[in-house]
Amino acid sequence: MATTELVPRPATLVKVTNESADVMSFEMELGDGSSMDSLPGQFVEVSVQGYGEATFAVSRLAADHKRFAVSVKRMGHLTKMLHRAAEGEVVGVRGPYGKPFPVEDWKGRGVVIIGGGIGLAPLRPVVDYILGHKTDYPGLEIVFGARTPGDLLFKEDLAAWARDSFIKLHTTIDFPAEGWNSRVGFVPVVAKDLGLKPDNRVAVVCGPPIMIKLTAVALRESGWPDESIYTTLEAKMQCGIGQCGRCNIGSKLVCRDGPVFRLDQIPSDSL
Amino acid sequence: MSAGWKLLKRGDLGAFLDSLAAGAELWVPRRKGTRWDFDQYEKGTDTTFPTSIIEVSAKALFFPRRRPIARFNPKAKWSVEPVEPASEPRIVMGMHPCDVAGVRYMDRVFLANDHPDRLYEAERNRTTIIGMRCSEMKPTCHCTDRNLSPDETEGMDVVFAEAEDGLLFRALTEKDERLLGSPLLAATDAKPEAKEWPKGRHLVPGPDELMDLYDDDFWLEASDICLTCGACTFACPTCTCYLVADEKFGDEGERVTAWDSCQFLSYSRETSGHNPRRSNAARLRNRTLDKFAYSFHKHGMSSCTGCGRCVLICPIQRSFPQLGTKLKERVEEKKSKARVS
Repeated sequence: MATTELVPRPATLVKVTNESADVMSFEMELGDGSSMDSLPGQFVEVSVQGYGEATFAVSRLAADHKRFAVSVKRMGHLTKMLHRAAEGEVVGVRGPYGKPFPVEDWKGRGVVIIGGGIGLAPLRPVVDYILGHKTDYPGLEIVFGARTPGDLLFKEDLAAWARDSFIKLHTTIDFPAEGWNSRVGFVPVVAKDLGLKPDNRVAVVCGPPIMIKLTAVALRESGWPDESIYTTLEAKMQCGIGQCGRCNIGSKLVCRDGPVFRLDQIPSDSL
Repeated sequence: MSAGWKLLKRGDLGAFLDSLAAGAELWVPRRKGTRWDFDQYEKGTDTTFPTSIIEVSAKALFFPRRRPIARFNPKAKWSVEPVEPASEPRIVMGMHPCDVAGVRYMDRVFLANDHPDRLYEAERNRTTIIGMRCSEMKPTCHCTDRNLSPDETEGMDVVFAEAEDGLLFRALTEKDERLLGSPLLAATDAKPEAKEWPKGRHLVPGPDELMDLYDDDFWLEASDICLTCGACTFACPTCTCYLVADEKFGDEGERVTAWDSCQFLSYSRETSGHNPRRSNAARLRNRTLDKFAYSFHKHGMSSCTGCGRCVLICPIQRSFPQLGTKLKERVEEKKSKARVS
């Protein structure tokens, strides 16, 4: 039946995971058994009936494209209701929308993933993709920071990434904490201290706006050209399909022309 | 179309409207309290067609202020059912060229999209537009500065115009010639009076010149007394920004789209509190550039149709077209500075 794209499809929550004190991951499958063909960096709109919908990056997609996940920080009304949802419950889903990371174009180049807090969610599918195509990429370096050790997301993945010799993993927290023996410091500072080299690599950055901005500064200082730095931008969205207007940066719409941008494609004041 | 003009004698208007209303839902301008808006025609009511724009645009007929897109039962588990698009034939009569241009712009937003809006599309498909040539330009009208004119017919199916002894009609599309088959209309050699229309009321710099003013102090000065009330956006025939929300009334729930405004602080405020357009100046700049620069980049046409409703409605009389003169002055200032330095 002809209806608007704005009407969501039902999806069943198949696994709910506590990632940290205020972040939960929701794995789900579409009610009609159809596949979710999202590419790394794309997002979906998730609805709780009666409470509206909000935009979330797809944080994992199963190999069969049936099961996919969003990772949700409890922030407002909708996310609070989502956090109350249990396995077996039905939510609404629209998408996937937006331009993905051009992972195919990066073949032959090393990839540096730099994530801050919930900003790791849209980047995890990039990591998954590269790990599934190791022969196409010479290496993977991951810098991930959170406020406290408890705020580090995807702990199982972090443990697996730490064991994988293909990956160079650096985790950091904002302030010293008992029992924490790894790095301490804000992500942009750590990125600078690590002296990340641009040599035939691309950097992929996502986190709070200030973290993206300062990480870009740090990378530029280390000799990275804007053409090698990618980010995925946060913007308030409602429709996700380039109609409702609010996510614009100049004449570009974050939902349709992004959310993935190369730094040279966006005005510097938009970070 | 080669078909010529047909005359409807003034005294036959009521009978003609009745005949149109017999075959379709008919919408015409109607005075409601202190202002004019479109309303559904009821047989036998006295109808006047204002000779220039009316206060409320026809936007809401195609994209309602509050538009249910799905229904659900709030007390049940997932029960979302899409709203069926309307399909009964409809005639909207008396839209002026600037309002029709507004619909053409909305077509680009809602239909020239990877995900066309089927509810909007249904409203378009069921509607025949009987547009009206303006026989005057109000002091706030400036369509002639926006690549339009009071005589423009693009986007209309039928056009009509005021004449001395009645109304002159002309079909513009094949499918709607039948509307003018009524015996009340008689072929005539008469034509609407050709007029010279004033120009240059609200000139605005071109898209590139405006983009050069992006970092100018102008926006701070221009926005200092803006109330950010958003009235200009609701009055505008091309402002289509919307929000999506769930509304619940007992056992009935609706997911709706509702008009929103880029002039509101909350419009682009993210859940984290981060807001890329926190200041009045940033919001005023965004809307001005959207009307006169971004719209060209996105949709190949200006989203200002020159209707002047924002000029009429602005409580501080500092609407976007009115800023145009000052913007042009600023462009000239910059040019002369560049020559000096």
